[in-house]
Order: sequence, then structure tokens, then C-alpha cells
Amino acid sequence: MPPLEQVRTILSETLGVAQLGRERDTPLLGSVPELDSMAVAGVITALEQRFDIEVLDDEINARHFATLGTLSDFVQSKLA
Amino acid sequence: MMDDTVAAAFPFFLDADPGARFCLFHAPLPEHARGAILYVPPFAEELNKCRRMAAMQSRCFAQAGYAVLQLDLYGCGDSDGDFGDARWHIWLNDIEHACRWLREFGYTRPALWGARLGALLALDFACNSPDPPPALILWQPALSGSRYIKQFLRVGTAAQMLAPDGVARAAGIVPSATPLEVAGYTLAPALIQAIVERDAAQRTPPCPVHWLEVDSAGPATSSDTPGATPDLAATAAAVSPSSARQIEQWRTAGVPVSVHAVAGPAFWASAEIVLSSALLDATTTLELP
Repeated sequence: MPPLEQVRTILSETLGVAQLGRERDTPLLGSVPELDSMAVAGVITALEQRFDIEVLDDEINARHFATLGTLSDFVQSKLA
Repeated sequence: MMDDTVAAAFPFFLDADPGARFCLFHAPLPEHARGAILYVPPFAEELNKCRRMAAMQSRCFAQAGYAVLQLDLYGCGDSDGDFGDARWHIWLNDIEHACRWLREFGYTRPALWGARLGALLALDFACNSPDPPPALILWQPALSGSRYIKQFLRVGTAAQMLAPDGVARAAGIVPSATPLEVAGYTLAPALIQAIVERDAAQRTPPCPVHWLEVDSAGPATSSDTPGATPDLAATAAAVSPSSARQIEQWRTAGVPVSVHAVAGPAFWASAEIVLSSALLDATTTLELP
């Protein structure tokens, strides 16, 4: 499963939102009401586990959560 | 007419220290009794998210011939105490009380079934016990206490991110004399410290381990995983890379570890109650002593 799709699956499951868009420009923060602080924390943890990366506290930035694409890019940057 | 199914779970309060613990006992079909299993539950909100799966698994185990005892640890669920008063050493003692209760009913050596951080608690108990359990069953184990606490405290950092200026201030694990309030839970510094100090990498289990994980971003099972796309080039479900490293370390140390990765939803983290029938199947068919 390509990374964007994996990130989408993690979001969909953690937030309990089945009908999340699949495009890069699918908006997240501010558009998905389920994305509260608990959900953000849960998504980050799930991403860490799935991709074997470590997200530092000062990397937790709103711009990474702007869209599905920006979040996927953030994950990719940690994998590089 | 003979009914082949197990009876409903028996709720009761177990005397512990301090206070009592809410317990559920699942009796097996008597003619098939094969031993006992003690459930060591997850931490904070994960306790609630895992309840349904734990109940279903307990019933499956009972149907397969195992007596199962579930308990809410001190300060959790329906047991006595506030979460802010919970301590790791009290929780270890709770496991001891539960084992003693089972012994009174003829179940001398229950296997320990730990879910999430409960897996680390079960491991800690087993490693320090003069009479170790015959097996450890680990569900989606969270075996690095420091990493787990870091993830748990992240809710506070995320809340700052969502604040008007959108900038997270690094939180980290700050040693503090005062309790932390996170996601509605009060964490005593002593409890945080105890968890942060514990890591499976420092422990060698004194018994065989059955390691079970749910892979939620692997191949999708349409009935179990909401929102996932069926992957035509399906790859086998696998444990996480960090889990694989820990398993390898234990195997190198001579510990028998059976590994079971199933595709399904991350039920311990999901906003809605979701189930993994594949995990129930894999767990119920484990070869236990």
C-alpha cells in the first residue's frame, strides 16, 4: 500500500471517519472536526509505529496536519 | 437439554490492598478445563477501548477450556481508588492477589495475558515472581515505558499545537513533583517514573511468550477494517519493526517466542469500538501449556 494510502488509513481509523478523501489536497486540520488533540496524538503514535519513525515534540506543527499530502510528506521526510 | 456454551461471566470484588478490585471470572466448560489465564489490562483510556475485545476473547478462551480472570487495577474502571493514587507497585500486587484467588480455586499457575501497557506490567511481574507463569500472552504489547509515556503526554503537546498560534512547545518528560493532568487522567509523578524506567529490552521473560499484533495498514479484511482499501498486491500482516527487534533479542536469549500478526483495525486506539475477529482466532488457537 503506498504511503499516502497508509497515512489515510491510519487517519480514517484513528478518527473513526470512513469517508475521508483520498487526494493529496484533502484538508485535515480545521476541516475534520474529529481531529482534536487526542486524535492528533493518536495519529502521530500510529504513524510512528507504522513507519518506524520517531516524531519529536517540536516537530508537532499545524502545517504538517494541513492536508493529507502535507502529513504524508512529513512522514516521507522522516523516512529519508 | 445440555447447553454446550459457557455460562455468563461472574462479577465480584476481590479483596486487595488497598481496597477491592472489580473482577470478572469466566468459568470454562468443566469437562474441558485446561488451566487459567489472568488478563492484565491496558492503561487509562485504552482500558475502555479494549474492553469489548477483552470480553470476547475471555469468552473464547472459556469456550476453549480456560478459566479467565479479568480485573480492573487499582484506580481503574470499577475498582477502588482514584487514578491519581495508582502506583505501579500496587498494580503488581493486584496481579499477585488475583493469582492467589485463582489458586484457591485450584488454578495454580495462570498464564498472564497482558494487553498494551498491561503487557509490560505482566512481563515485570513474571520476571520478579518466584513462581513465574507458564506463559505470557502479549496483545499489541507496549514494552517501552518511556516511549509509551512520551506518546501519552503528547496529547498536551497536540493541544498546544491546536491553540490559536499553532506552535507546539516542546514538552518532553519533565520530572515534576506535581501530578500531570492529561486527557482527563491524573498521573502521579511516581507512576510516570515507574513506567518510564521499565523496558522489555532490559528483561528476559522466564517463560514462553506469545506475541500478537494487529497490522492495521497491511492487507485489509473488508469486514474488520473500516475505510481501508483492498490491496491487490497483498503483503502478509507483520509486526512492527520495533517489535521485530525485541522479539529477535528475546529469541537470541533463548526465549521461545511465537509471533502472530493479523490484519485488522487498531481497536485500542480507535475512536469507535471496532473488533478484530482475526486476533480472536489467533489468540484462541494458541498452544498454551
